[in-house]
Amino acid sequence: MSTPVLATPDVGPTGDTAPVKGGPTLGQRLTSFMPVIALVVLLAALTIADPDFLTQRSLTAAVRTSAPLAVLAAGATLVVLCGGIDLSIAALCSLTTVLFAMWLPDLGGLTTLAAIGVAAAIGAVQGLAHVVLRIPSFIVTLGGMSIFSAVALVISDAGPIRIVDRDATKWLTLYVGGVVPMSFFVAVLVVAAISLVLKLTPLESFVRATGYSESAARLAGTPVDLVKVAAFTVSGACAGLAAIMLVSRNFSGSPTMADNLLLPAVAAIVVGGTAITGGHGSLWRSLVGALVITLLRVGLPIVGVPSAYEQILYGAIIVAAVALTLDRSKVLIIK
Amino acid sequence: MTTHLQSQPDAQASAPVHALEVRGLVKHYPGVKALDGVDLVVHQNEVLGLAGENGAGKSTLLKALVGLVRPDAGEIWVRGEKVRLRSVVEAADHGIGMVFQEQSLVPNLTAAENIVLGSEGAGVRRGLYRWDTMRKLAQEQLDKIGSQIDPLARTDTLTFAERQMVEIAKVLRIEERTSHPPVIILDEPTSVLESAEIETLFTQVRRLREFASVIFVSHRLDEVLDVCDRVLVLRGGQSVGEVSTASAAPAELHRMMIGSTGSEDHYHDTAAERSDQPLQPRLVVKGLSGATFRDVDLDVHAGEIVGIVGVHGSGREDVCRALFGAEPIEAGEVTLDGDKLDLSGTRAACAAGVGYVPAERKIEGMVGPMSVADNMTLTKQKSRCSGPLVMPQKQATLVDKWIERLSIRTPHRGTAIQRLSGGNQQKVVLARWLVAGDIRLLLLDHPTRGLDIGARSEVYRLMRELANSGVATVLLADSLEEAIGMSDRIIVMSDGRATAEVGCPSGAKPTPLDLVKEMV
Repeated sequence: MSTPVLATPDVGPTGDTAPVKGGPTLGQRLTSFMPVIALVVLLAALTIADPDFLTQRSLTAAVRTSAPLAVLAAGATLVVLCGGIDLSIAALCSLTTVLFAMWLPDLGGLTTLAAIGVAAAIGAVQGLAHVVLRIPSFIVTLGGMSIFSAVALVISDAGPIRIVDRDATKWLTLYVGGVVPMSFFVAVLVVAAISLVLKLTPLESFVRATGYSESAARLAGTPVDLVKVAAFTVSGACAGLAAIMLVSRNFSGSPTMADNLLLPAVAAIVVGGTAITGGHGSLWRSLVGALVITLLRVGLPIVGVPSAYEQILYGAIIVAAVALTLDRSKVLIIK
Repeated sequence: MTTHLQSQPDAQASAPVHALEVRGLVKHYPGVKALDGVDLVVHQNEVLGLAGENGAGKSTLLKALVGLVRPDAGEIWVRGEKVRLRSVVEAADHGIGMVFQEQSLVPNLTAAENIVLGSEGAGVRRGLYRWDTMRKLAQEQLDKIGSQIDPLARTDTLTFAERQMVEIAKVLRIEERTSHPPVIILDEPTSVLESAEIETLFTQVRRLREFASVIFVSHRLDEVLDVCDRVLVLRGGQSVGEVSTASAAPAELHRMMIGSTGSEDHYHDTAAERSDQPLQPRLVVKGLSGATFRDVDLDVHAGEIVGIVGVHGSGREDVCRALFGAEPIEAGEVTLDGDKLDLSGTRAACAAGVGYVPAERKIEGMVGPMSVADNMTLTKQKSRCSGPLVMPQKQATLVDKWIERLSIRTPHRGTAIQRLSGGNQQKVVLARWLVAGDIRLLLLDHPTRGLDIGARSEVYRLMRELANSGVATVLLADSLEEAIGMSDRIIVMSDGRATAEVGCPSGAKPTPLDLVKEMV
């Protein structure tokens, strides 16, 4: 059928004037750039506290440390953008380090692909459980977290598995251009690739619509369920990739290796400014967030704060960042 | 000024003090003036009816009276005292309570618990329920309205009518907070009741009048005239008149409700342009059944607008959603141009050329923070893509074309849709189904809800143009007048069944009362 022929409308006959207010306020603009500002301020503060900090060596070390965190956070950001949360990423990452270490002797060069593939599949299963059984994502992934941790403990006999053949992960310890650690380069590459796919295809519309208003997205005929399962799958794959990065650094797989990365990853997401309620945010923001968190992590000892205080900091950061970014006028009921 | 004097405390002795008085209440929502200077007086021991079409401002007014909405301007006086109501609790402190349209009881608690909920008083000692006291407190309330309900019955075992009694009993608890008779607001209390139950409710309302003042709101004019002493008519957020029920007829009330805007021209009725219908209907629905509707038959020809009317609970909204695959069905067959329509989900419906405009525009119709352009192309992604890739230029051209065609007032296609006025938002939502040019069936669920008259008129014209270009339309109108004005044929639904069909051709339109007769 052809496009309906619509008469040229006469202009302005009605009292239906659009009360359009101004753009984002100064405060909103400032909030939007907050992560980058925080990063610069942190860097400056650390340099003042320890002038040696602004050297190539320590900066390189910092970004290398941030790589697994950035990848974990980036994957989970997709789930958050869809309006959910993935609490299983750290446990899944730990499990994958164990699987990688166990499979390496048999699979050799294919182990990396196999480990990431399995992690992605596990993420997909969680996504399906969320979508098909209609269970809230935080319950599904909380259950997943516990299950993956337990499985990792069982199959590894509750101990680290050393890696003898270090060639499989050697590529991640190289430097690009002699300066940028390969693991960080890969993290940036992953963020760029996913962001680009979102940007260039209708997927970004689908993800945002799902996150902002799932019912509206569904009634507009967007593939809500498919998008969510895909987000969990990517989140799983990213957990797998982060696992390879951790193994390359520690030369072993361990059932608890990444467990202490869950809180920093969530902190990285919210510090980056991605709305925990879904829709608003980006993977780039989480990358910046991961850098901020990493700087805090390496910076605390420099300014003389014992690392035992780290967890307090993460907890406070998450609450404060959400308090700053949450649009409370839209949230009627807090669960 | 003389009217003001009446309510001054020192004037109490000489002039009667009104139980409740509202002066010049104003409430703006973005793009809509919900209340535009409403005046209202409720006398002691009287039942005041409130009539008006959807969008006339009834709900906003009631919400303002119980502190759920804060007016932008105007005054509320309770018994000669100017008050500011900022919450339901404050309203209760002044003796104003509301029985909500959507029942507000907690289903898994007993009637007694629900009645004292939030005002347990002596019913709780050291943080624990004292069941004997609770039961007694609840019984006192139930006795006030002469109800036989067992206070210890679980609420979800009660019928709708009984639950409503519990709600009324609960609201009557506010009597204990004040020293004077309460004002009880009943918002559409009959919409979920059977006719025998409605009689019981009316008996209760008359009993309430003995010791309280009542504001009674209903869509059914005969009810309003039956149970009320006086009826205030609202239109466009203003009080337009008042009739004494002793003398008024429904028709008179109706004229006041719709005012002068109900003319044929308003609906752009253009019978001359309509061509003869083909023999085969475009949409054929046979025996459609779901959770809230049963055995619904319906057919719509290309270029035809079929209105479905029915009271709250008639199931017409669910039929509409079911045809879009957004509501599960239990039985029935639906064909579109002879092909079976897949109702398993919304995506299949979209692909088949079915469009749906939901009633809750802000929640279900649009994605508020997303741009006009992205909202417009959300469904028909192919219209802005080349292969799998989004082509920004292609999207810009397309969206700008439709912004101009529908004269959508937006600063830019990239503006977030939530910053537009309601009418312009709705045009974007409608355009979503038009951009690909493959729309065959349009399901409109209250497409003009919350829009002002100018915006409504534009939506009506768009509907006409779409129909004239061959789109089949199912319309759940916001009012009977709208259904009559826009439809070629009207299906009446009640209790989940299609009970009557009324022809509605141009030049031989039925009156709203003709339809009301079929609806009850």
